Amino acid sequence: MAGAIIENMSTRKLCIVGGILLVLQVIAFLVGGLIAPSPTTAVPYMSVKCIDVRKNHHKTKWLMPWGPNHCKKLKDFDEAVSRQIEANDIVFAVHIPLPSKEMSPWFQFMLFIMQLDIAFKMDNDLKENAEITLDVSLAYRDDMFDDWEEIAHAIEIRKLKCTFGSPKTVESEGRHYDCDFLPFMEIGSVAHKYYLINIRLPVNDRKGINVGIGEIKDIRLVGIHQNGGFTKVWFAMKTFLTPSILIIMVWYWRRITLMTRAPVLLEKVIFALGISMTFINIPVEWFSIGFDWTWMLLFGDIRQGIFYAMLLSFWIIFCGEHMMDQNERNRLSGYWKQVGPIAVGSFCLFVFDMCERGVQLKNPFYSIWTTEVGTELAMAFIIVAGICLCLYFLFLCFMVFQVFRNISGKQSSLPAMSKARRLHYEGLIFRFKFLMLITLACAAMTVIFFIVSQVTEGHWKWGDMTIQVNSAFFTGIYGMWNLYVFALMFLYAPSHKNYGEDQSNGDLGVNSGEELQLTTTITHVDGPTEVYKLARKEAQE
Amino acid sequence: MCSLTHLFSCFSPSSLTGKEALTHWPSLGAPGGSGPAKGHMKQCELLQLSRKQKRLCRREPGLAETLRDAIRLGILECQFQFRSERWNCSLEGRPSLLKRGFKETAFLYAVSSAALTHSLARACSAGRMERCTCDDSPGLENRKAWQWGVCGDNLKYSTKFLKKFLGQKRIGKDLRAKVDIHNTNVGIKAVKNGLKTTCKCHGVSGSCAVRTCWKQLSPFHEIGRLLKLRYDDAVKVFSTSNDAVGHSELAGPHRHGHSAKQPFLPRPTDLVYVEDSPSFCRPSKYSLGTAGRTCSREGNCDSMCCGRGYNTQ
Repeated sequence: MAGAIIENMSTRKLCIVGGILLVLQVIAFLVGGLIAPSPTTAVPYMSVKCIDVRKNHHKTKWLMPWGPNHCKKLKDFDEAVSRQIEANDIVFAVHIPLPSKEMSPWFQFMLFIMQLDIAFKMDNDLKENAEITLDVSLAYRDDMFDDWEEIAHAIEIRKLKCTFGSPKTVESEGRHYDCDFLPFMEIGSVAHKYYLINIRLPVNDRKGINVGIGEIKDIRLVGIHQNGGFTKVWFAMKTFLTPSILIIMVWYWRRITLMTRAPVLLEKVIFALGISMTFINIPVEWFSIGFDWTWMLLFGDIRQGIFYAMLLSFWIIFCGEHMMDQNERNRLSGYWKQVGPIAVGSFCLFVFDMCERGVQLKNPFYSIWTTEVGTELAMAFIIVAGICLCLYFLFLCFMVFQVFRNISGKQSSLPAMSKARRLHYEGLIFRFKFLMLITLACAAMTVIFFIVSQVTEGHWKWGDMTIQVNSAFFTGIYGMWNLYVFALMFLYAPSHKNYGEDQSNGDLGVNSGEELQLTTTITHVDGPTEVYKLARKEAQE
Repeated sequence: MCSLTHLFSCFSPSSLTGKEALTHWPSLGAPGGSGPAKGHMKQCELLQLSRKQKRLCRREPGLAETLRDAIRLGILECQFQFRSERWNCSLEGRPSLLKRGFKETAFLYAVSSAALTHSLARACSAGRMERCTCDDSPGLENRKAWQWGVCGDNLKYSTKFLKKFLGQKRIGKDLRAKVDIHNTNVGIKAVKNGLKTTCKCHGVSGSCAVRTCWKQLSPFHEIGRLLKLRYDDAVKVFSTSNDAVGHSELAGPHRHGHSAKQPFLPRPTDLVYVEDSPSFCRPSKYSLGTAGRTCSREGNCDSMCCGRGYNTQ
């Protein structure tokens, strides 16, 4: 890649571009921090213990915790014992959402976790590695007076991980175990207004089902969904960013095709990065408002995965192409060692995601973490992906180190070179250092904001203003990587001063001085072959 | 001052034995429908509430049931925490106890307000109350707030509601009123301090890129235990009036190291009382005395039997 715009740009123009991008970046943060609410909401639900009064539970009947046709309720299990109600007749019912509210497609997804309140009792102790069997069903309706329609029904087994803080004596009877929450359900779209969850805990002494799980006092669910306001801001941002990246992409590709030579690998990779960014940007989520597409969550994961893989590959190839040694690369196969781990790692994560969110399309109550084999499998995938990522970063760091070593080597021999070659190398060095700088800045920003959003509470109060840190993090970082790709395509596009002009140094006098402040390109070199020729020449020297 | 005494007295008027407070109300109606709606009106009438409280109770269909739950929760917890003390939190003598300013009174106020806060928050998440979060504006605005995602959490609501319900805005001038309000707030604070933050990661492939946290009530036993500890370290207070400002403050005894001019102020988490408690050994208008109660030989027999000796079985 010879002569990019960035090399031919004057410092002033570069500063202007940088300033505009910075302003856009700040806007991206402010949009999230000031307009959007927090990204997600967690709503606690306390299940209501209903009595299933029918003699046999052949037909599925839905029990409502409240409202016009609410079920017969139990206050606690002591009441059940005194009224001789069997455990199998008790149904834990949760209506989503709470009274006088409705769900909306803008919530994008719903995921539920389950918390069990288990009281300690001497004669009904919680066994080691106890497993709870849940008979769960989910239904929906769109009108308060419709019948419930079943979405899913499953029998799920979850492992209980509980600890008890005080000694197990009669004194501490009635105190609660401290139990980890259990994954319960995940749905990738919220297409209906009302949902109903009915949970049964079937007890079978003979088969040992739900025996030794202690005295369950309550089942609580926590429902997490994306906030409608955040979704709207997010969609707006995507809708705005898509055409911007698309336009610069078309412009970039046109520049490349206008050249006499075929595009080099690096140019192709930058273009591919643009494509993957656009792929994330295209606001297909708008369809989730009208259609019940539960696979949107999975699709979003895949899109993000593709972008990350592309970004990581780009960094490697960029380093490789600026290596300034004598190896001819310019082929993807030359990078198999570095790109290989990325491919393996992202494939692992893809398989893992398919095993978790893919299966959840069929059974929303499924979780890979609930079974022994599943947990091991999931951990294996994640560990392999982690190893690949480490490997990748080792390679990357090594390559960056190599480039810097070569740069310092070149810089000492620069004065001795011919002007054309010197300019060429200076261009390479500048391009590399510039990208290195903004990449590090972007990565550092991402890490810092990630840490800040993890450490601090969701929002900061500033007088009357509330700044939603988490939302600002999401919109800001998303905007930042978009700007990164935008800047990359703009600044690293081949310079128009490059093609169609055969006079190399003639430009120097003609153009205004400021255009030439950085460096000019070696204008007669119009392709990689020339670069390598130069490199070889130098090697001979 | 129409505070918690009303709520207590609805279960401990002199005629009541206290059994009623612990029985269930299977006929209790839930919100919605015409029948149960009338039911809750009746429930509100049955509870001894001030006129303002009755209005609030009628407006919110699930409130009556929640109040009963809260009272039951408070009584059970109080009796559990005091099962081996001389005063065992029995319902007998409670009205006279509530009129005084003992340590026990302080505990009763705190445990009851804690139970109310706890029950209100729980009732919200069980869907028993209709106006929980997003309550700031009615109608469509309410729905918009929910969809946009700016609703508060249940506990904030229940604390706010409770303060309104107990009419704390108007702080009484006398020492007793101030002590009661202080102890009520101690109870509310105990629930707030007992909140546990739990987080769930749900980013790409379940990573922590997206994380949602929420606050979770701790079991009421924990709150009861905390309040019992506060009861053990309760602070005796008297009133000091600050003439310059024109209002008076609660002040405790001078502690070592404090200058005499600066009265020691009880912390917001301290239970405060104004009178020394009676011994509760013999039957009085405050309790039935300790005669006839069982004690455990390892621990509290000498104290509970007030040195009168005991039979072992």
